[in-house]
Amino acid sequence: MTVAPERPTRDWPYVAPPQYEGSRIPSPIPTVLPLPEALAQSGDVLRINFGPNHPSTHGVLRLIVDLDGEQVVGLSAVIGYLHTGFEKTMEHKTWWKCITYPERIDYVGYQNNELTFVLAVEKLLELETPDKAVWMRTLLCELSRIHSHLVYLGTSALELGAISMFWYCFREREMILDLFEMVTGARMHTRYFQVGGLAEDIPDGFFPECRKFVEWMPRALEDYLALLDRNQIWLERTKGVGLLSADDAVALGQTGPVLRASGVDWDLRRDEPYLAYGQLDFQVPVYPNGDVYDRYRVRVDEMRESTRIVDQCLRRLERLKGRPWIVDDRKVVLPPREELHTSMETLIHHFKIVTEGYRVPEGEVYVATESPRGEQGCYLVSEGGPRPWRVHFRAPSFVALEATATCTHDALVADLIAIVGSLDAVMGDTDR
Amino acid sequence: MAKRLRDYGLQSERLLWPTKGPSRFEEELGAEELERALGLTTLEKAMRWAQTRSMWPDTFGLACCAIEMMSIVSARYDIARFGMEAFRSSPRQADLLIVSGRVAHKMAAPIRQIYDQMLEPKWVIAMGACASSGGMFNNYTILQGVDRILPVDIYVPFCPPRPEALMEGIIRLHEAHLAGVPPAYERKEVAT
Amino acid sequence: MKYESLPGFVEERVSFGETTVTIEPDRIRDACLQARDELGFSMLCDIVATDYLGWGGKGVSGYIATASGRDLNFPSTQGLQTLPELKPKRFSLSYHLLAMRQPPERVRLKCWLDDGEQVPSVVSVWPTADWHEREQFDLMGIAFSGHPNLTRILMEDDWEGHPLRKDYPIGGEPVRFSDAQ
Repeated sequence: MTVAPERPTRDWPYVAPPQYEGSRIPSPIPTVLPLPEALAQSGDVLRINFGPNHPSTHGVLRLIVDLDGEQVVGLSAVIGYLHTGFEKTMEHKTWWKCITYPERIDYVGYQNNELTFVLAVEKLLELETPDKAVWMRTLLCELSRIHSHLVYLGTSALELGAISMFWYCFREREMILDLFEMVTGARMHTRYFQVGGLAEDIPDGFFPECRKFVEWMPRALEDYLALLDRNQIWLERTKGVGLLSADDAVALGQTGPVLRASGVDWDLRRDEPYLAYGQLDFQVPVYPNGDVYDRYRVRVDEMRESTRIVDQCLRRLERLKGRPWIVDDRKVVLPPREELHTSMETLIHHFKIVTEGYRVPEGEVYVATESPRGEQGCYLVSEGGPRPWRVHFRAPSFVALEATATCTHDALVADLIAIVGSLDAVMGDTDR
Repeated sequence: MAKRLRDYGLQSERLLWPTKGPSRFEEELGAEELERALGLTTLEKAMRWAQTRSMWPDTFGLACCAIEMMSIVSARYDIARFGMEAFRSSPRQADLLIVSGRVAHKMAAPIRQIYDQMLEPKWVIAMGACASSGGMFNNYTILQGVDRILPVDIYVPFCPPRPEALMEGIIRLHEAHLAGVPPAYERKEVAT
Repeated sequence: MKYESLPGFVEERVSFGETTVTIEPDRIRDACLQARDELGFSMLCDIVATDYLGWGGKGVSGYIATASGRDLNFPSTQGLQTLPELKPKRFSLSYHLLAMRQPPERVRLKCWLDDGEQVPSVVSVWPTADWHEREQFDLMGIAFSGHPNLTRILMEDDWEGHPLRKDYPIGGEPVRFSDAQ
């Protein structure tokens, strides 16, 4: 049974020639690098367990690795150590309460998950959110993207030995978390997006602080490039390591920075615009080589582009001060509290929404957004009741880990760490 | 009259000779009260002081709380002030297990194995709501609190706790240990 | 429309701007192959199984209308009072496909299964289906024939039962003052 797909032509979105000949996807099982028979017989192979608790901060991933000296000759991944049963739990909560859960799935880019779920519910309700909410959601999602890439860069560099990057990246991360706390009240897991818009209005002090951040960030990015990009050790450890060709990446369902680093020009923000991305001016970085270095460069360039997007959103939001931040549909959104004293209908609406919850029409939707890890999708089936019938999240990290075996072709143990770090898998997203 | 060493309750063979004059040591110090010149303590207190000032945690990040645990190592909420920035990868070298994140059933056996590999004295902090009690997840796969399988010393609430909250928990652990509270494995069984 | 040429085609439906094509379960692999090669759907985004046990049993009535039926200040507006549409079999298996071209195109291929019915695996069409199918086998109990490694992936290897089915309890422990459980 062949697993290598045949590609008749190469045109857009492929922007690079193939990085290697043919396909490196292992067979028969695409996600397991099989141990060659000859080596297995020789008795020289050491099978070790990169157990669920290992010092890199990627969470609870278990890799069963066969080693011949330093060379990795067999690999299989075991996941499920953080399976939380999000999908089942959300079937038992009302639509309002459900919004708290998706954030904890990808706990590093948390606002994107919330956004995907909220957009799916709004699609079923056919609800149009006001401008202010659209632009603020865009801004917060881009800040979330910068936050996620900073955590990736800090921890990846830490694992490869560039330890001081961790402190530099987390310095900027603290600035972003301060912005989140200013707007939403919490550093992580903000739960600020509501079906219909935002939960609260944007405080006035946010705009000057965000502008300060936008002005500081490009200088910080110059710092990172100065620390890493001209560092010979970093270049030797990341260039040419973990190659993934464009065809293999598409066959393996990769999306996001992993796909763009393999030379496929595909970004949901530009190609299937949602929120305000259709009105924004930004570039999508695409690199041709498909190795760890290119994935790192894609993410650093994405941070720069995200800062530009945040700048544009800020300018737009400053003109929208005083406008509504949530849609006024009383069947779905709580009415303003002042009206509760005077209007009977408002009281009834409030009561119905708080006790039973609003109902979402029957149907099924699949909504995909571009999270920092790739295409985050939410498949939602509603029966017409106050609770979801089926919620499923298409997790980009789940799919990214399927590519581990393909990337680890002729790799050493040290390269394996670099590869798993560059795929940027968050275990909450993988195991859900 | 200057206090002698035996007035402090210290035993030594010189004290068996009660009529002996002050020793060279006591003359050199020349202090009225020895407390002015020496720090006196018990061996237990000294050990506790040393253990508190360098309690090294194990790298045990499970989920979202792990990200906040990483941020206490960062420069703003610097935990190196307490001597704890050295996160040991091997449980055999670690003193403190900060269970940061939700514990799935599949992960329960590895956690217990890691706890058993740690050498005594060892402490456990259940960080966050999920580790303390299962948090917002009350289902077939999440352990309702890591104290089902491990004896826990300190519970830090919130989802996820702010870095300052985690540091408060760590400081309270230090204070409890300095005051002589034994680690949890001596005090309690795991909850059933 | 253009999906009629897919092998095993049953019907095509458009709702909420999305196209859903129903395919016979035993022809799904051929349909996927044709979708990939001739229609250009080069990426498989997701494979999702849904359990419809107990669907429509409660008879949903009351306000369930779309935006055109809602009225702002009249809470007694019933809108459209409908029962959810009945489903042909217990499980549905949805394949979400993406064609990366301008304009991009997405389609959902759906097949309906009974409990215990086997469906051919699409690992040979898109290798990414490997873990997606394992996950649906693990959580929903859908058996894929021809899958190279159909074992549990998220739950422990000796777990009994398929947690996401509707007849599997949520588990957990009883909590005071909370509903259900």
